[in-house]
This record gives sequence, structure tokens and C-alpha cells, in this order.
Amino acid sequence: MIRTLKPRTGGIRDKSPLLDILIYVVMFLMLLVCVTPFLYIIAMSLSSSEAILNGRVSLWPVGFSVEAYTQIFNYPNFFRAYRNTIFYTVAGTAISLTLMVMFAYPLSKSRLKGQKFVMKLVVFSMFFSGGLIPNYLLISNLKLTGTPLAMILPFAINQFNLIILINFFRSLPEELEEAARIDGLNYGGTLVRILLPLSAAALATIGLYTAVFFWNDWFYGLIYLNNEQYPVMLLLRNIVNGTTMVGEAGGVGERASVAIAVKSAVIISSTLPIILLYPFLQQYFVKGIMVGAVKG
Amino acid sequence: MKKILSLLLAAFMVLSMIPALSETAPLEISMYYSDNSTLPFREDWPVLLAIQEKYNVKLNVAPIPIADYTTKVGLALSTGQNAPDVIVGSSTGGANASLALNGAIVPLSDYAEWTPHFNARVAEFGMENEVNSLSLSDGKRYYLPALYDKPFYDGGLILREDFLLAKGLDAPKTYDDLYEILKAYKAEYPDAFPLTTIVAPRVLYRMTMPSFGVSVGLNAATGTGTLSWDYDNMEYFAGAVSEQYKNFVTFFNKLHAEGLLDPEMTQDATSTSQKLATGKAMATYGYYDQMGGWSQGSEIEGFRLQMYPPLEGTAGAHHQPKNRTAGGLLFPIGTAQRPDFEQVVRKIDEIFFSEEAATMWCIGIEGDSYTMDGDTIVYSDTIKSAEEGIYKYMQNAYGAGCDGLQLVWYNAREMTKYDENYASINAAVAAMEDAIQYIPPTPSFDDMTAEDAALLQTTLLDTFEVWNDSFLTGKKSIENDWDAYVEEMNSKGMEEFLKIYNDNKKM
Repeated sequence: MIRTLKPRTGGIRDKSPLLDILIYVVMFLMLLVCVTPFLYIIAMSLSSSEAILNGRVSLWPVGFSVEAYTQIFNYPNFFRAYRNTIFYTVAGTAISLTLMVMFAYPLSKSRLKGQKFVMKLVVFSMFFSGGLIPNYLLISNLKLTGTPLAMILPFAINQFNLIILINFFRSLPEELEEAARIDGLNYGGTLVRILLPLSAAALATIGLYTAVFFWNDWFYGLIYLNNEQYPVMLLLRNIVNGTTMVGEAGGVGERASVAIAVKSAVIISSTLPIILLYPFLQQYFVKGIMVGAVKG
Repeated sequence: MKKILSLLLAAFMVLSMIPALSETAPLEISMYYSDNSTLPFREDWPVLLAIQEKYNVKLNVAPIPIADYTTKVGLALSTGQNAPDVIVGSSTGGANASLALNGAIVPLSDYAEWTPHFNARVAEFGMENEVNSLSLSDGKRYYLPALYDKPFYDGGLILREDFLLAKGLDAPKTYDDLYEILKAYKAEYPDAFPLTTIVAPRVLYRMTMPSFGVSVGLNAATGTGTLSWDYDNMEYFAGAVSEQYKNFVTFFNKLHAEGLLDPEMTQDATSTSQKLATGKAMATYGYYDQMGGWSQGSEIEGFRLQMYPPLEGTAGAHHQPKNRTAGGLLFPIGTAQRPDFEQVVRKIDEIFFSEEAATMWCIGIEGDSYTMDGDTIVYSDTIKSAEEGIYKYMQNAYGAGCDGLQLVWYNAREMTKYDENYASINAAVAAMEDAIQYIPPTPSFDDMTAEDAALLQTTLLDTFEVWNDSFLTGKKSIENDWDAYVEEMNSKGMEEFLKIYNDNKKM
């Protein structure tokens, strides 16, 4: 982030080292705001229930205990569900990117006949949808319910990401493609050999959005899949809800003191893998966010 | 030619064996089960396996997370696609009522002769009227409810018994006693707010209001938010604007004004636990199951919590109303298309409501989880010594005592799974007159009336909630602003709402 800011602020910075310090202070405060809750949750997830109950936990685990993690990991089918989620995320993102690239490239050519009409359809479907029950009937009649494809195909093309990608393709110089064609490449070849290598930033950004979507989804898993195909988010959601059901419904109660530790452990184990993706994609991401921002 | 002939003969032999085989093959029944993560479903629960073997049935159970159960059930019922044969833990309350009336659910009361075991349990508990009252406006009942011979007292006032002993105070019997106890604690610990709440004050409200003669708010027993049930005259009254409610809010306003009631009312269960364990509070309304966790974690010496029977208020001593029926089994209409539909219904009736099966769902397998010593149930040593208690251990290890699968509940038999303390509190409550009243009947509306009622209900409840908060916290004066409040409620349709309910009430 700072590296990209340098060229712009360089002039002012030379004149005023104070501003530089101010920037670092502000950045540090921002970092603190982002990291503190995360550290707190980690500390809670690793503390003993007694310490939590007596309010002794702040940013460091007190009475180190992995009971919360043991409890989640011992949940029946936890690892199968985790495997399912990884599969949906990887396969879903791959299929989604392929389909979106193939859709966005032709739509980025305004000379294509019917391009405007198709664009209108895309935008229309972005704002209006059939609703839950018609969608369910559609997926069910396509015989997709109870198959992993129900998690992937209906969400393969996200209109918002598609429009970002279309605008990115438009921003690439037309001359590149003309040169490629003169050298004997057809449209497919141009897309694969010339445009895609230039689109790493856009693809990384959209890929990340898509991966996060598939990773976080629990609702479609619930309605379309059978229990052995459930994604891990659905299980974790159930664990968190189960431990807070106390008082809402009464009846079956869980020791309230474990609840917060379990909740924290759930948050950590469900968000950590996807958070770990960010540092690797960051270099593309910063560039990628501005993709398609100028040319509309 | 010979070859073909012998092949045909062989094929004929095989085919003729199929009916013979299918007689012994277990009957396959698929079902949705609402899976509570505190007792996660296991296919190898001994009770589940034993039931399947004993009754020659194969149950294909799909555990659905409890938080999303109604969504999944609603979808299966309303689309009729991918629905299982049986749905457990459901009723025809809420949206299911209109699904039932529109033909998505099998009207089980039409097939009463196929459910002899259920009928026998209903007769045994003397629950004919209660079960009949579950029928919808077309006069049909669409599910087999879970049956309780006596409702349980599983939650109530929980407070620090060690404090009472140290100060020589008696166990509270009335709300005035409670007030004195809270005041004594406040005098000792001026920084504390002695009475705290869990999950907003909803638990507090629903457990305390009946002693003042009303039940209003989000968890109103009538489900209407602002109406209450007059148990003497068997009709609804406008609880939210009644003298009874005024008495209730006056009492809690007094607690609030004197710093006896925790002003932080939107806290989660963790904050409540922390406050109790650290002595920042000494009482709450909660559930018996929760006490263990609070007591175990506290570092205060001698810390001991106890649960008490309902306290006497201006309208007697009553707990939150409860029914002797609960959600049970319903059959999506697609099940009726099965050629063996009658067998399915009969089998389900047998494996859940027959005396033998109901015993297994409750206390497990004789010789394994328990033995009988005369009339006394003796649990196995492993179960008795389980750290989490008999009840919880049997749920997790055996699949016995799980809501949804156990549909017949004898109070006395359940009490054998708890400690003596819990059993004696329950006995004390059972000995009180009408401590746990029944849940008022739900009127049977047609679609239009239901819509009118729902519109009024939302507006009235919203208005009530705002005023209730203001009265409780003293932002509005109960004495001076009461008339303005009643006027506002009436202008929002209080009287009309009451009339709709009384005109359509079911006796």
C-alpha cells in the first residue's frame, strides 16, 4: 500500500518529514484497529473457560487451552466438510473464471452484433432474480440438487465481476490484438496468448472475490445439498448457533462458559485459510482494484 | 434353444424370489432431523441402531442444522421436491399452517386407525382435548406431536444460595422477598446490579410476567405480542394496556430505579455468565442446565447457585406457560404416494410411540445403558459417573433423550436422569397449584383475517416495545404517561386486534 503511495506523495514528503511521521502514525493506528479484534479472538479461542468467565482474557491467552478447537475438530464430519469447502472453492473459482473470461471477451467488443442487448440482459439479471423457490425448482428440475454442481454452476457467472472484467478487456489497447491477428492468431489464440497474460491483476482480483464467495457460502449448501456434501461454513454456523441457543429456546443447554471460546475458535478456523490468501494476492490486488475503474 | 430356456427358467426363479425377499427386507424411511450441535447426530447411536434392528426398519436420517431447519423444511414442503418421507421436530405452527391447508402435508387425523400407539399414549395421558386443539381451521390435524405427561420446570429464578445462607435470608417466595434479597446484595456490593438478564430481557419477561397475570412482548404466550389470555373467562384480553401489565412494569421499574436490575439489557450469554461468576450480579432468570457452567467457572469462594420455584406476584405464582405437546412428526404429501404408505405410517407410529420403543428413546437399551431393580431404573456405572451428567451423556453417547426423536416424555422417568436437586425443585413446582399454565389456544384464521391480524400485531408490538422500555427505565412515568400510552395503543388498533382474536378463538 505504502509503496504505491510513494510516487504521489513524494514531492510533499521531501519538504515535510513531519507528514511522513504522521502517515506512519495513522497507518499504525489503522493497523491496530484491524489487528486488535483479531488478536482478541485468537486469545479467547486459546484460553480456559474459567479465565474467560472471570473476565481475565485480553490480548494474550490465559490458562492456555485448546478445548474449543478439540470440540470443533471432533464434531462429526468436520474434516469432510472442510474438504468439501476446499473443493467448492477451488473448482468453483476455476470454472467461474473460465466462464467469465469466455463471456467477457466477446462482450468487450462493441462491434459485436447484439452486444448491447446481451449487456442489458446481464445488468437486468443483476438486479432482478426469480427468488428462492423458483430458483430451487429450477435447480431441482435440472437434476442438480444433491450434486456438487449445484454449489458451482448457478454462481459461476457473477454479473458484477463480469462487468469489471469486460471493462478491463476494453482498457487493453486494440492494437495489440490487431498485431496478434496479423501474426496469424485467431480470436481464441489472442485471448489465451495475448490478453490473459496481461490480465493477471484483473483475474487475481475477481478470482479472490469469487473464492471468498464460495468459501463463505452456507445457504446454498443448505438448500441444495445432502448432509454429507455440506460445506464447513454450515457446520460452523450450526456450532455457533447451537452454543448460543441457550436462553433463546431453552431446553437443551450448553455450558455457557465454553460458548465464547468455541465461537472464537470457529471464527479463527473458518477465516484463517482465506485470510492467508490475501498476502499472496496483494500485489495483484492493489493494481486490480483500480481495474476497470476509469473506463466505463 | 436349451440355453435360452434354461436362462428363462433361471430368470423366472430369481424373479419369483423377489417378493419373498422384500417381506424380510427392512422398510426404508427417509427423514429430516433437526441437528443441534450440542448433541451432534451420529448414525451409530446405539438407540438408533437398536430401534432399526428391532423393528426391521431402515431410517435414512438427514441431519439438518437446527438454525436453518425451518428454511429447509419450508422449502421441501412448499416445492414438494426432494422431500423426505417424514419430518421430525415440526408442527403446523407459522407458515406450515397454510402449507398444510393448501395440501402440502398429509392430514394425519384422517388416518387415526393407523396410529394405534399414538392414540394409546394420548388416552393414557388424558390429552384428547389438547391433541384435538392442534387441528387447523379445516378441523384436521396434520402432525403427531410429542407428548408430555407433565410439563417440566427447566428454568426459572436462579440466584446465589451462598449469599442467602451467609446473610441468614430465607429462600424467596414472593417478588417482595426477591426485592429484599436484591437490596441486601446491593447494600453489600454497591457497584453490583444484582439482577441481570440473558439474551436481552426476553427470558426474564416471559418467566416473570405470568405471576402478574400477563404475558406480553416478543415472547408472549399467545404469540400475539400484546394480547394475553384470561384463564378464568377463557378469552383474550388486551394484556399490554391492562392493570396487570401496569403492576408488572411498576415492580421492575422500581428495581431499575434502585439499581437492582442490570441496565445492560442487550448483552449476550457470555456477559451474563461473567457478571454472575464475578459477583457483579447475583441473580438471573435462566435455565437449570446453565448453572453448572457458571458455578464451575467462578473464583468466588463458596459460590453456589440454586433455582427456585416461581415467585408469587400480584396474580399468584406462575411460570411461563407451557403445553403438554410439542413439535413432532409430519408427513409431506409426497409420502402418501408411496404404495406402502399405510405401512410407513404404522411403522413410524410403532417406532416412536409404542411403549417399548418410547422407553428405548428415553433410557436406552436394557442391560446396556440401564437395568431394572424392581421399579427403579439403575443406570450403568459409566453413565452414572459421566462428568456432564446422565442426561447429557445419554444424549451424546446413546442418542437417548434427544428432542425430535423422543416423542413420549414421562416427567418422573426424566427426573431419574437429573440430580436430586433438580428433581426436588420439579416436585415442588408440580405440587404448586397451576404453576405452569397451558399455552393459550391459537385461533384459526382464514387467510384474509390472518393478514389483517399480522399487520395490527406488528404495529402494536413495536409501539408496546418502545413504551415498555421507556416505562421500565423511567424515561416515561407510569403514573403520568399511562393514559397517553393507552390512547396511542388504541389508536393503533388495540381494540380491533383484540376483537379479531376473540371472534376467532377456538375453544
